[in-house]
Amino acid sequence: MMQPAYISSASIISPQQHFEDVGFLEGIKTTSDGILFVTEPDYKKYINPVAIRRMSKMLKMGISTGMNALQHAGVDKPDAIITGTGRGSMIDTEQFLLNMIEMNEEALTPTSFIQSTYNSINGWLALQTKCNGYNQTYVNRGASLEMALFDAQMLLHESGKEMNILAGCFDEITPDYVKVKSKVGYWKHPSPLSTDLFRHDDTPGTIAGEGTAFFTLTNNKNRAICAMPALKTLQDEQPAGVIDAINTLLTGQGLSMADIDVLLCGMNGDVRQQAVYDELFKTTTERTSVTAFKHLCGEYDTSSGFAIWAATQLFTSQNLPDIITIKRGTHEGIKNILLVNHYILNSHSIILLQNIQ
Amino acid sequence: MEELKNTLKQQIIESLNLEGMKPADIDDNAPLFGEGLGLDSIDSLELMVLLERNYGIKIEDAREGRKVLESVQSMAEYIQQHRTI
Repeated sequence: MMQPAYISSASIISPQQHFEDVGFLEGIKTTSDGILFVTEPDYKKYINPVAIRRMSKMLKMGISTGMNALQHAGVDKPDAIITGTGRGSMIDTEQFLLNMIEMNEEALTPTSFIQSTYNSINGWLALQTKCNGYNQTYVNRGASLEMALFDAQMLLHESGKEMNILAGCFDEITPDYVKVKSKVGYWKHPSPLSTDLFRHDDTPGTIAGEGTAFFTLTNNKNRAICAMPALKTLQDEQPAGVIDAINTLLTGQGLSMADIDVLLCGMNGDVRQQAVYDELFKTTTERTSVTAFKHLCGEYDTSSGFAIWAATQLFTSQNLPDIITIKRGTHEGIKNILLVNHYILNSHSIILLQNIQ
Repeated sequence: MEELKNTLKQQIIESLNLEGMKPADIDDNAPLFGEGLGLDSIDSLELMVLLERNYGIKIEDAREGRKVLESVQSMAEYIQQHRTI
């Protein structure tokens, strides 16, 4: 059986808070515009001031979150850097494409092209930390972060020595992306107040979001906040198949749904994507608290990053904020958290997280 | 010439995103790379594109490019002699 990966630090930039904010989901930010943009920290503490001037928002977000996660774990140089992104740096990509059109494919500036490549953030993180170890960026739509975490877990499992891996995700939203995806029915019209998203789960569409999340993963249990014993991704699976996969994953860890304290659900208020969660709720017992998070971070390819960060906060605080709670269970304390997420219709993920304090 | 140098400085600030800098902060003869403004190789590519887009100047020879991009003064002199737009 695969050994767990242990999370020794977690950092985010999200629409609700960033890594410099104190507390957990205090002072909730809302919007009725249908897009939850991130709140940004002061980047200058984390990025070389000479380099920062030409960096786009996505680069600054990714590098600072990664560096902050390493700082919290007390790691100067990770052994590997593994990330996932659904779309990479959208602002740079759009700018480069617009330049191509405007300049008739001539006299193109290099910066937006260089930064639009998916592995740009990994490259910068490697340069800043002088890490010349394994470096990988997964671009697998809604399973991007999950692939990065799975790769990290395998690397930790196979390594015969103590390792620290920087694993994370980054995705940003742009007005043009929202406009294009609006044409294929991604978003709710009209958009409700973001915190009222689940009161409108009888209509199609959701709200857009963005964010970064980075974790220091290790195989040293003593340095950990929590463990990630198992994860699974599913493509084009029906609700019954997802439930089967959840049961198989839990059985493999000697658990059942009755052992889960908190169920973190990635439902996004879209009636067309609700069936799997309705089936899941039928399997929960009185013990389990049911929670949701996409009314706080919006829908994006790597929203699981926000949820995993929230899980680390739940373990640390042992407190379930009302803003994420749909049903409060009878469990005492928070030991087992099951994250069930999806992106649009065809990509599901299941991640088990365990408190080891 | 003075007007051209001021315009060029403004274009350099915008194109290289030199936050908090004004044209008056850039010395005409100070080196753009290394000391002085401390620009790097990606900036040199951005400056080549600036010359092409704004003045119709295409520099093919790297050695010539290095001389042209020494300072604002050398860039302005080259622009005055070779501009096509």
